[in-house]
Amino acid sequence: MGLRLDVALRRSADGHMSSEQASADGTADGGTAVADGGTTTDGVVREIGHDEFDPVGTLSLILVYLAILVVMWIFMYFVEFLGNGPTVVG
Amino acid sequence: MEIHRYEKLWLGASLLLIVTFIGTIVFGAIGPGVAMVDAEGGTITPDQLSADDRFSDPRVEQVGENEYEVYAIARQFAFQPDPIEVPAGSTVTFYIASADVIHGFEVAGTNLNTMVIPGQVTKVTVELDEPGEHGIVCNEYCGAGHHVMEGKLNVIPQDEWEGSDA
Repeated sequence: MGLRLDVALRRSADGHMSSEQASADGTADGGTAVADGGTTTDGVVREIGHDEFDPVGTLSLILVYLAILVVMWIFMYFVEFLGNGPTVVG
Repeated sequence: MEIHRYEKLWLGASLLLIVTFIGTIVFGAIGPGVAMVDAEGGTITPDQLSADDRFSDPRVEQVGENEYEVYAIARQFAFQPDPIEVPAGSTVTFYIASADVIHGFEVAGTNLNTMVIPGQVTKVTVELDEPGEHGIVCNEYCGAGHHVMEGKLNVIPQDEWEGSDA
């Protein structure tokens, strides 16, 4: 398992692992062949580079969180505070 | 260091949020003119309020067209004068002094809310546009009768105003 993890994390200079390496390491460890873009249950399923990884869920959560903050701020400042006059002006 | 474009996006959004927060505060200060209570009122000796022209006779005084000054005292356990009466549509400056301990001066349900510290004259200016009756409460624990310490601020409609003899 340790070997396979190592393989999964190792990248060549251009960000892609060579298929020969994947195949060799995959078979050496457990006998399960790893095909590029394949769907094997045991091993590297898909290799993607740094910029190809899109954490859409994380982005959505952060945007929702920011939206909540903006709405709450607008409510607190403009409705609860400024709408609650008279306000000290001097 | 390589920063993912999504990370750049939410870092930028976070910075924009901070700028927005600061922007609204700046808007509040410039637009509606929200101000902080400061030490502009000066100092006074708490047990010698009667020696001060302003506080020897707590009152409302007209100082200009639609401009009034209120000289008020907070003491255990009342506000003077009570009620404070001013006409609607006026700019009112409160000078509030404590005769004994720390009190609060909060016109309930509004942003007119300040501490009254013995030795310090609290000066706050507000624009009272709408007629109405407001309660004034002490919101700093000031002793055994703190819970009954209250006053009234009556903003009288312009056509019913007969001068500041409160």
